[in-house]
Amino acid sequence: MERVVKSYPTSTRPALDGVDVDIDKGEFVFLVGSSGSGKSTFLRLILKEETPSQGRVHVAGKDLSALSSWKVPALRRSIGCVFQDFRLLPNKTVFQNVAFALEVIGKPQGTISKVVPEVLDLVGLEGKAQRMPDELSGGEQQRVAVARAFVNRPMILIADEPTGNLDPQTSIGIMKLLDRINRTGTTVVMATHDASIVDSMRRRVVELSNGKVVRDQSRGVYGYGA
Amino acid sequence: MRAQFVISETLIGLRRNLTMTIALIITTALSLALVGAALLMRTQVGNLKDFWYGKIEVSIFLCDPISDTAQCNKTAVSEDQRQAIQTALYANPVVQKVYYESKQDAYKHFLELFKNSPDLTKNVSPDALPPSFRVKLKDPKRFDVIQSEFQDMPGVDQVADQGKGLKPLFSTFDGLTTAALVGAAITLGASVLLIFNAIRVAAFSRRRETGIMRLVGASNLYIRLPFLLEGALAGFLGAAIASGFLALLKAYLVDSTLRKNIRFINWVGWPETAQVFPVLFLVGMLLATVSSFFAIQRHLRV
Repeated sequence: MERVVKSYPTSTRPALDGVDVDIDKGEFVFLVGSSGSGKSTFLRLILKEETPSQGRVHVAGKDLSALSSWKVPALRRSIGCVFQDFRLLPNKTVFQNVAFALEVIGKPQGTISKVVPEVLDLVGLEGKAQRMPDELSGGEQQRVAVARAFVNRPMILIADEPTGNLDPQTSIGIMKLLDRINRTGTTVVMATHDASIVDSMRRRVVELSNGKVVRDQSRGVYGYGA
Repeated sequence: MRAQFVISETLIGLRRNLTMTIALIITTALSLALVGAALLMRTQVGNLKDFWYGKIEVSIFLCDPISDTAQCNKTAVSEDQRQAIQTALYANPVVQKVYYESKQDAYKHFLELFKNSPDLTKNVSPDALPPSFRVKLKDPKRFDVIQSEFQDMPGVDQVADQGKGLKPLFSTFDGLTTAALVGAAITLGASVLLIFNAIRVAAFSRRRETGIMRLVGASNLYIRLPFLLEGALAGFLGAAIASGFLALLKAYLVDSTLRKNIRFINWVGWPETAQVFPVLFLVGMLLATVSSFFAIQRHLRV
């Protein structure tokens, strides 16, 4: 489907209260707001890890409430995820970590050995394929996580505070990477606390506060000291 | 679906929990061996029953000069009386086969039976044994019918049921078989719980992997299969060990010891033993897989 629409008219739960947001395909959206404002819930709804108590969520033209549970894996294959804590498998190499995402959805070995080095090049980790995650810096580990999220060429990339554990310099590197991924046509939705990143990128900003959208600017900054 | 990947994940899971895996394989093997032993015992008791009931007859002893019951009054059965008894036996619906054992036949059988005890045979003359009808019943349990009909016929000394002595024996065997089955059920229950726990622990220790699998859109089957295979493999190994154990039991206890010493019993053979093995594999793998399925249900829902 062409358009990616997510709308949440009304949720009585305090996590998200009547949120109504449209995100188009290919957009880069920052989700900002203080802790507990509902950013993570917003992301979890997109993944159908949670179902809304009221209202509907549409992803890639599909109504998630009408999506039967056995189709959820197919939905998640079209969404890549990056987290603050990287979520890498410590007993697998960088290559295996990225390959894992393809193996578990049944991709043939030939595809894996071709696609994984490509995506490792893309994230700037060429030559580190055989390292273990704990031999890498935080920024490099996050690049592995981004590689894993993107290796299946998802339509949407969800990032939950991907720079939360990184220093500003490394964060900029990750943001450049996400920006590059966005330019390939992938929709990027990123929850963040990092004001300087939001300010420097000048992309669409959706601010949540107590589960409500309080601001939706197309070329926004982090906020007024929020 | 890439089999190689699923299998390697399964093996990793089993290795990670090696002690638990060993414990649950042993328990499964023990309980399955008990199941198998109980099944074999049941077959054996069935064989014994067939064998004994096949041999068992009702003996109708006829009057003879030596018989001192009031009925006979020390006079031999007359030819007419004998004919009348025989006719009545042939006419009786519960009778399957009748044959007559004359005094000479009885003596011959006696000599045959006690050929190892010359002291005993020396002192018994052919006159000492009465003639009898050996009657085979269609149903060995219908002895009472015969007894009531023939006990009071003229010329009949005594109606004796040879199967009487065996009944307590068989009820003991039946009791033992039931006890073995109950014991097997209890240990099976224990091993099911053990498998359930082991798989739950495995699911917990691999929640990082399964979490990522869910996020990248692996299908439920793909996520679960390694766990189910883990359970199935444990069940399979348990069944294999139990089968080996039963085979040893059969080879050494039954064949080498019992069969040599007690020849007249029809001991369980290899075909019957082999029939038990698939049952063990089926029960072991099915129980293990089903309990694994329920163990991961909570951890791995979408």
